[in-house]
Amino acid sequence: MRRQVPLIITFCVGIFLIAYVFSPPLTDFGENFSVYFDIIAVFAFFLGGGNLIRIHTNNLRRRKKDWWYSVVTLGAFTLMLAAGLFKIGNPGGIGASLTTSGSWFQTIFETLMSPLNSTMYALLAFFIASASYRAFRARNREATILLVAAFIILLGRTPIGYFLTAWIPDSWSILRVPDLSVWIMSFPNLAGQRAIMIGVSLGVVSMSLRLILGIERTYLGGDKG
Amino acid sequence: MDGVIMHHVALWTAAFLTLGIISFLYRDNAWYKFCEAVFIGISAGYWFVSYFWDNLYGKLWLGIFPTDPTQPPDYILLIGGALGVMMLLRLIPKIGWLSRWPLAFIVGATAGLNLIIYFASNVMVQVEDTIRPLFGANYAASAYDIVGNIVVAVGTFTALIYFFFSKEHKGAFGGAAKVGIFVLMVTFGASFGYTVMSRISLLLGRIDFLMGDWLGVIK
Amino acid sequence: MTGVTCRCISRAHLPWLVIILAATLLFPSVSSGETNTAFVGVVGDTVPPAPVTSLIASDRKYDNGEAIDLTWVPSIDDRLLHGKVIGYRIYRSENGGEYKKVGDAGKGDSQFSDETVSHGNRYVYYVVAVGPGGQAESIHTAPIIAEREWINFNRKYLFLIGLIIAGSVVYFIETARRGKKLFIRRIAGLEAVDEAIGRATEMGRPILFISGTQDMDNVQTIAGITILGHVARTIADYDTKIRMPVSRSLVMTAARETIKTSYLAAGRPDAYSDDMVNYVTDEQFGYVAAVNGIMVREKPATCFYLGAFFAESLIMAETGYSIGAIQIAGTAMPTQLPFFVVACDFTLIGEELFAASAYLSNEPKQLGSLKGQDVGKAIALAVMIIGTIAVTVGQSWNIDLMNNIADWLNSVFKTN
Repeated sequence: MRRQVPLIITFCVGIFLIAYVFSPPLTDFGENFSVYFDIIAVFAFFLGGGNLIRIHTNNLRRRKKDWWYSVVTLGAFTLMLAAGLFKIGNPGGIGASLTTSGSWFQTIFETLMSPLNSTMYALLAFFIASASYRAFRARNREATILLVAAFIILLGRTPIGYFLTAWIPDSWSILRVPDLSVWIMSFPNLAGQRAIMIGVSLGVVSMSLRLILGIERTYLGGDKG
Repeated sequence: MDGVIMHHVALWTAAFLTLGIISFLYRDNAWYKFCEAVFIGISAGYWFVSYFWDNLYGKLWLGIFPTDPTQPPDYILLIGGALGVMMLLRLIPKIGWLSRWPLAFIVGATAGLNLIIYFASNVMVQVEDTIRPLFGANYAASAYDIVGNIVVAVGTFTALIYFFFSKEHKGAFGGAAKVGIFVLMVTFGASFGYTVMSRISLLLGRIDFLMGDWLGVIK
Repeated sequence: MTGVTCRCISRAHLPWLVIILAATLLFPSVSSGETNTAFVGVVGDTVPPAPVTSLIASDRKYDNGEAIDLTWVPSIDDRLLHGKVIGYRIYRSENGGEYKKVGDAGKGDSQFSDETVSHGNRYVYYVVAVGPGGQAESIHTAPIIAEREWINFNRKYLFLIGLIIAGSVVYFIETARRGKKLFIRRIAGLEAVDEAIGRATEMGRPILFISGTQDMDNVQTIAGITILGHVARTIADYDTKIRMPVSRSLVMTAARETIKTSYLAAGRPDAYSDDMVNYVTDEQFGYVAAVNGIMVREKPATCFYLGAFFAESLIMAETGYSIGAIQIAGTAMPTQLPFFVVACDFTLIGEELFAASAYLSNEPKQLGSLKGQDVGKAIALAVMIIGTIAVTVGQSWNIDLMNNIADWLNSVFKTN
């Protein structure tokens, strides 16, 4: 029973959601799946949030290395929970929107979370620079092709690309870097993207069937569950 | 006056956190660890609160107990609620296995839904989009487009051949697969090159904040 | 004067007279000519426009009985004198009840979809043309019932082609189950899994497993979790440490269940601990900040990135590179694949991610499904080649047969 019921649920729900595309009366259920999912996900968060608290409380209790950062994490977590759940400082009170300007929740978001997010995202500029540097030291033919295409597209998006090849006569304008980069984006890039999309979709079909038919079941505790 | 002080506190806090995260590029350090700890705590709390109000209250509670008297209660949402509660049964070891049911529900639904969505929106659409005349109607296309169309067609065919699993990549088939991997590399290179500039602009945004908003060096 | 009159009604002018007369009868407003514009304007303010004609209500085909489509020929005053009609109002009676307004249409419009109907109910409609001088009601439609259809025949080809491909997957699963040997080519990234885990064991360092930053409703995350099952089994065999920070609570639950099963299957249930998987935060970059911290502090020897990734892919892969870890990545996100290709040792490209679990399981029935999906690719390839040739030849040399083949293929693969 412990092993069979989840497999039956997966099978029935999977078949049902395939059928809904072809059967208009089932549309509502298919469209409501995201609502069910959101509800389950919020309950699951009690487990996730509980895990976060447990790990950091353990670090603190056992005075593990760097335990003090666990105090910071727990403090920040509690602060945000209190600010949001009780809508502290919210001019509109408990019934107002969570993101009302002036509320603690919104202020903390704007002052702490937003700059942290933007800066972490901005680190990509450095990481893409180091990745590019490595790509320049292409080790094989495939990497060289990747590098050349990347270089042309990059140059094509900068004024240097235009100035470098502006002298090429109009009849050979395709060889000008900006034009060449547009051509690469419009044709070979399209071909690759298309093949990836078709392949991915067939992979999804195959894997979904394995899941629905219960052939792939590791996530449910497998055969021994 | 309070507003001005608050503005400056917010500005300095944001600058402190920004520099703390950037300091990671040099090496792991206490400043970064502090910022990381704040980030984890604040963001986990942020998402829990958002889920709580949007999903638990907004979708489940208000769905079952609508505030608008003309709107009938949507009792079918109780299924979602029951599955959610089952998820929490993991905390009771004796009946923890029941938490697999909501998991099975999610996996089944994701598999079923994605199977058909991916198939319809990718396979069908992409195949249909590929069926295009190489030379344009009545040879109307320019040499630029003709070469491009041929590259798209041959590129798609060969790149797809690369993904075949049940045939060894040998002989002509292997040659086609080899061309296919080259096409994929051009695609990846194009995508890589295209992203570089947008990533640089993100950094410029932060520099603008530090030098402009915070230090006021640039206006 | 008489002479002039005689010239006007001469036989040569007769056709023109007939045309003018016909125009006067058919389009009275136009024939009044420019000189009468002021007159029309004055009268237009007090005279309502002509009603719409040919109003037809039809039940929308292959739906859940939730829509009725109306079409009409706009008021003649809308077509010729735009100022005289400012819009239309649509009225509806449900099951013989009183008429209520259900919507508006702009001037020039000739259709309206009523998507507020319920299946099984009987509806009658009329449309009111509204102008500055008043309004005019059309005739009422015949009663119509919003029917619910159980099967959407618009998607018959999607169903048939899907059935063929899904059928071939199931057929090869069955064939393999019955013992037929199927050839599956080598996938370098997956061949390297054992070696990468072995390396971590030798170095006495942990293995980091990242299943993307999306939740369990993303099929790539599920693919990552299914691969985790096989990776964890090897890790249990090698007695190495696995570290899996996750950004979604549901993924945490699924990952724990998966790893636990793998340890059980390896005969080492005692070595399993819930602490192998820990929740960090749902926030994309908050999660990355934590993963980066784990990487530089715990220095995993091997990093797996298998699932759905966005911008964080490069931050993690580059940090992983900087600590000298062997990195195996896989995603179906075309925009992130280049970064993994550049920064990782092995990358599973798109479809390979979904095939990985079957490949690693080495179970005949799972491998059979890979053969099945190859049939799908063969069909797609054949259709694209035949279609491209047909449409190229057909359009270049005007060969109807070829154009018809291409049109038919296009119509079959059109999903809407």
